[in-house]
Amino acid sequence: MLQQPPEPSQPSESQAMQPESQAERKVPMSEPQSPESRAFPQPPRQGWKGWAIGLLLAFILGWSFAGVQFDFKELIHGAPQMADMFKRSIPPDVTTLTDPERYSVPEELGLKELILPVPLGGELSELKERWWRNTFPNTVLGATIQTIQMALAGTFIATLIAFPIGFLAARNTSPSPILYHAIKLTVNFLRTIPDFAAGLILIAAIGLGPFAGTLALAFHTTTVLVKLFSEAIENIDPGVVEAVTATGARYPQVVSFAVVPQVIPDFISFVLYRFETNIRAATVLGLIGAGGIGLIMNSDFRMFQYPQAAMSVIVLIVLVMLVDYLSARLRRLVI
Amino acid sequence: MDLMIDVQGLRKAYGDGDLILKDVSVKFAPGEFVTILGLSGAGKSTFLRCLNRLIEPTGGSLMVPRGVLDGSGSTERVDMTKASSRDLRLWRRRVGMIFQQFNLVKRMSVLDNVLSGTLGEANLLASIFRSFPKAERERALHNLERVGLLDQAYQRADTLSGGQQQRVAIARALMQRPKVILADEPVASLDPKLSVQVLDTLKRVAEEDGITVLVSLHVLDLAKTYGDRIIGFQGGRIVFDGKPEALSDNEVERIYFREGYEHAPATPRTIATV
Repeated sequence: MLQQPPEPSQPSESQAMQPESQAERKVPMSEPQSPESRAFPQPPRQGWKGWAIGLLLAFILGWSFAGVQFDFKELIHGAPQMADMFKRSIPPDVTTLTDPERYSVPEELGLKELILPVPLGGELSELKERWWRNTFPNTVLGATIQTIQMALAGTFIATLIAFPIGFLAARNTSPSPILYHAIKLTVNFLRTIPDFAAGLILIAAIGLGPFAGTLALAFHTTTVLVKLFSEAIENIDPGVVEAVTATGARYPQVVSFAVVPQVIPDFISFVLYRFETNIRAATVLGLIGAGGIGLIMNSDFRMFQYPQAAMSVIVLIVLVMLVDYLSARLRRLVI
Repeated sequence: MDLMIDVQGLRKAYGDGDLILKDVSVKFAPGEFVTILGLSGAGKSTFLRCLNRLIEPTGGSLMVPRGVLDGSGSTERVDMTKASSRDLRLWRRRVGMIFQQFNLVKRMSVLDNVLSGTLGEANLLASIFRSFPKAERERALHNLERVGLLDQAYQRADTLSGGQQQRVAIARALMQRPKVILADEPVASLDPKLSVQVLDTLKRVAEEDGITVLVSLHVLDLAKTYGDRIIGFQGGRIVFDGKPEALSDNEVERIYFREGYEHAPATPRTIATV
């Protein structure tokens, strides 16, 4: 708490409290006096409230640390094991990424046939298809690409769904207050379901694999984007809405002309941000069996193949940094 | 007298029952250029917004000729305070509005901003995707030429100066082929030189098209220079209504009188710098 300087003479306070208009008129009269002797209004005192809030915060934090059984001793005991694990993962096994053997390309197929959409005979094209669907996604490179694809597809589906719902969930553009409250409530409820919980449910329903993971991402991202979109819509300049309404425009026209142009930069920024988050989320979903680099990392760790796991971690770090950098560049481009 | 708007006993109450408009009755003829004077809070903005029902009046009537709504020659009167939403939209199409903060869509081109003035009549689906018929685009360019901004048509609106933005707003209002233009403090955010430019433009196009214009201003000299007729608001009532020549110092004191002050604050003459 900052200590305030002692207030000057007490009686002058009432003068400072007088309405603005009268105070203004008195200024010229008191001009000959030295400025120090005049009573300027003081900022309001905070008093005991600040202390009380600080104390409460300290109590809550102490209670939380006790609750999580925070123990430095255990951390120190575990340190050698961590160092051992680290030692065993060095050097990372680069061959998981670079060795052509790992990709086990069928001998019958050349690189050209594999990548380019050239016409192939029945058996060959089946072989090619099987490699793309089953073999490649189980390599580090393939799994990384799959993770990106999951994030892209999931974010796209979510954007498509969240865009119209956002307008219904914003107070100023919702056609009816009942609809506004109903949607807001539903979305707030659905948002409490974390994406990996949605992933577990979807995997149980449609089986392991990236499709379930993508749907889980799409589901959670939709609920987050609806919130972000609707809040951006609620913050627009209402003057433009008034102006467009005054021309006799109908609701969809008002939205298209007065609302959308104001929120588009925000929307793009939110979508890019969610894409970044979804790259990480897709990795976590991999751990529960929904495809991608997370799946590979998990199985490497479980089989104590630390150098291989370390390589996957490095690939993931590079990927996340790259995506963060690119989306930051993109965002600067649109705003 | 030919009548464009006939306001009778207009009242507007806010939340706690305070009346911001107390029983306002006034008539406007086609082609009149009326300036409205008054302090902040005197009810000028509320009055203007009641005329196109951006604000719902609490009571009173607002008669306008049926012919203005449907383009027929009908002189039958329609009460806008009780009008259907369809009639209201027809009325709004014919009433252009200009705001203190211009209220252009900043990220859209000047031309698209001007075209937004046609939304009331435009094809719903096409207009949502910013697609307008060629004839309308040409009319928009023509109206931009009338306000002297043809060269800026394809710039983004926020690259223009305040005075230019307000002239774009005038062009947008002209797209409505308006019978009435309501201008709420259109020059309050502009310096004196730009103020004159904007008001000159507004007065010229209004005369050319025979538009009734109601402009609220707080600079006395501007109100006297541009108004064919001056209306003074004080405390939600009209306290003066007449020719600029009839506005004596006494009348000015009455308009700028505020309860709680022993005298009127500094006479507006000293505020006016134009």
